[in-house]
Amino acid sequence: MKAELDRRALRRVSVVFFWLVLIALAGLFFTNDFGIVDLHKTSIITAVGVDVTENEVQVTAQLAVPMPSQSGENVEYTAVQGSGETIADALNEINVKTGFYPQLQFCKLILLGDSCKEKNIFQVLGCFYRKNYSELTAKVAMCEGKASDMLSMKTSTSDMTASVILRALSDELKKSANVSGVNLKDIAVENFSVSSAAYMPYVEANKSGTSEEGGNGDNVGGDPPSGGSPEGGSGGGSSGGGSSGGGGQESGGGGGSAPGGNVEFTARKTACFSGGEFKGILDEQQSFALDILKNEIRLAVLPCDAGEYHYTLGLKNVKSKTELKIKDGKPLVTVKFGARAQIAGIKKPVDPAETAADDKLTGEVKEGADREMEARLSSLVEACRKSDCDILGIKTLLYKYHNSHYGRLKDSILSDMEVVYDVEINSVN
Amino acid sequence: MEISVRQICFILIFYNAASKLLQYPTLLSGYAGSGLLFSALVSFAVEGAVIWAVAYLSSKTEKTLFALVKDTFGEVAARIVYGFFAVFFILCSVLPLFEHKLYVHAIFYDTVPALFSFLPVFFFTVYAGSKPFKNIGRCADICMPVFILSFAFVAFMSLSEVDYTNLLPLNAAPAKSIFGGSLKTALYFTEPAYLLMFLGHYKYKKGDAARLVLSYAGGAAIVLFFLATFYGVYGGISSSRQFAISKTSLYFSAMDMIGRVDLFALYAMEFVMLFAYVLNIQLAVHCLVRCTGFKSPEILSFAVNAALFAVIVAFDRFYTAIQSLFAGWMWIPVVLFAVALPAAAWGLRRRRNES
Repeated sequence: MKAELDRRALRRVSVVFFWLVLIALAGLFFTNDFGIVDLHKTSIITAVGVDVTENEVQVTAQLAVPMPSQSGENVEYTAVQGSGETIADALNEINVKTGFYPQLQFCKLILLGDSCKEKNIFQVLGCFYRKNYSELTAKVAMCEGKASDMLSMKTSTSDMTASVILRALSDELKKSANVSGVNLKDIAVENFSVSSAAYMPYVEANKSGTSEEGGNGDNVGGDPPSGGSPEGGSGGGSSGGGSSGGGGQESGGGGGSAPGGNVEFTARKTACFSGGEFKGILDEQQSFALDILKNEIRLAVLPCDAGEYHYTLGLKNVKSKTELKIKDGKPLVTVKFGARAQIAGIKKPVDPAETAADDKLTGEVKEGADREMEARLSSLVEACRKSDCDILGIKTLLYKYHNSHYGRLKDSILSDMEVVYDVEINSVN
Repeated sequence: MEISVRQICFILIFYNAASKLLQYPTLLSGYAGSGLLFSALVSFAVEGAVIWAVAYLSSKTEKTLFALVKDTFGEVAARIVYGFFAVFFILCSVLPLFEHKLYVHAIFYDTVPALFSFLPVFFFTVYAGSKPFKNIGRCADICMPVFILSFAFVAFMSLSEVDYTNLLPLNAAPAKSIFGGSLKTALYFTEPAYLLMFLGHYKYKKGDAARLVLSYAGGAAIVLFFLATFYGVYGGISSSRQFAISKTSLYFSAMDMIGRVDLFALYAMEFVMLFAYVLNIQLAVHCLVRCTGFKSPEILSFAVNAALFAVIVAFDRFYTAIQSLFAGWMWIPVVLFAVALPAAAWGLRRRRNES
């Protein structure tokens, strides 16, 4: 009986104790003693630029610093630089300077300077993949010149340069085949697959309010920000070559903060890597073909020539695929592309009486569009062959679907494969 | 009866799944690579067979395990067996405790917090650990909708980024990796031991054995789906992505605009995971009460949690070493207590007059 009473008393005490603990915890919680971050004491890394010197990594972090304000939001942006043997060393220096030690949860952009071409990018970026140092959601891009210079350029639309660069890498542009947007996870998954190849957008800066001429309607860019010509070229229409070496671009074209004017950014080119090593830069047309094959496209714009006129086509319902078959022991790759097209523009005077009917693709225009698309796809495939960079994932297809041939063909498939293009562009109407 | 078959079914579905969504996918993809589904299937098949054996045993007797052992070998033997089970359940609590600490610190904090911020969880585990089977069942009832909603939310947000062909070719992983993976992750498969403890505490009705086995299969299906999704998102780098459940939904397209809304689901999921974790402590306390004859579960719960508290404080920085240690040898007690002993329970005296 006494034991039963003792147990009841103990239970009553334990319930009271439990409530006391809850109240104490609530007190700790609401007095910020669990280490809840005070916004006014933070500086959040929103983007990092990475440049490498011979022995060190130089990291420039763009920080968002919330400031006390009487009316609404007030955030200042500033850049802090750190350096060290690894990015982790450099970030530690940045944290020491900013007085805040965050995980990189809010870092949305990692910009690699031209100098990173000389190193294995997974050596440079290694720390981002360790444990939970960062989520792998940050977008990655390579840039013309030094990343630190590009992040310090002035833009007309925002104080935060990184956000303007991010606009050039946006998902909307990705869905229109204008940028090969990737994040940290994408490049790692591609690189650590059997294809061992990755790609990322190549960002270029141009003087605000200028545009480049030429390129048969597919030109993007403008005057270089500092007045000089950026090494590596903006290459509006230079569809040849594909995988330029890209060496010797130490100074690059960024060249600082565009004295006397603002800049705007474009990322129509694509940097390619195999086994983490830089292999070259795809031009705009090759990048377009790569985007078409890799991404889900909502609406893309394809310029083409047909007859005596130049046409601009809007492509919808885009379906593309790369298939691999083994025929008589030899690899046969079929690159399929299908889309519905509508004429968006013709280089001739408009006639309102005919406009309603002439956005339908005639046989001649359809042939021109097919030819242009096939040229872009074959240029991409040849660039991959030439640089031995399997960004199309041919080895992965071989490994997944023809595993019994993998051991025999894996080293030679890019050079030995026969490629067939199956391009079918039809009129929307 | 203290717990209903429905509640045990919920435990076999939702606790079973929740306890395998944190580090199990990461570790298994490290051990078995793209063969992780086969490795998991091996584990589920073995444990599922034992679940069936124990569930079917409950149709033949209304005795608890303690009564079965006592009637066969005597009370001292029964106390010893329960003592060993208590140690087993405490061992089963160690690694999940470290995993929860690291998970909470990594996912719910922006900076690197001190161990102190996690320790209040012991107030909960001491309290919950002292509760009887009736409360375990009620908690399972509450956790059921929470798990369904949060898992569905995370799964929906994950699907846009999945490439299930990452699992191809199906024969890529060697048998050694597949079986090795099953063995090294055996510590996550202890459900038959739970069912053995519930023996005699629920009223068996016709068809309940099938219900229990199907529930376990349901939990297995959820885990297999998640494993495929996790590997489909991360492919060859899956083994470097810790706390799998928090990683697959990160690439949902609306996240850039509206922020980490997946954290709501992850908080809710953590709630279920915590109850799944604390079940080990509850069963350890139950076994200690039977083993010692000491009638105060509160004191025993405090003692068990004090031991776990000491372990986490002493080895706070040694998760990797502890994980390697457990992966290396924990399969032995799991095979003994969650496979061999539950299966061997068939050999115990099921009726009082049975010779």
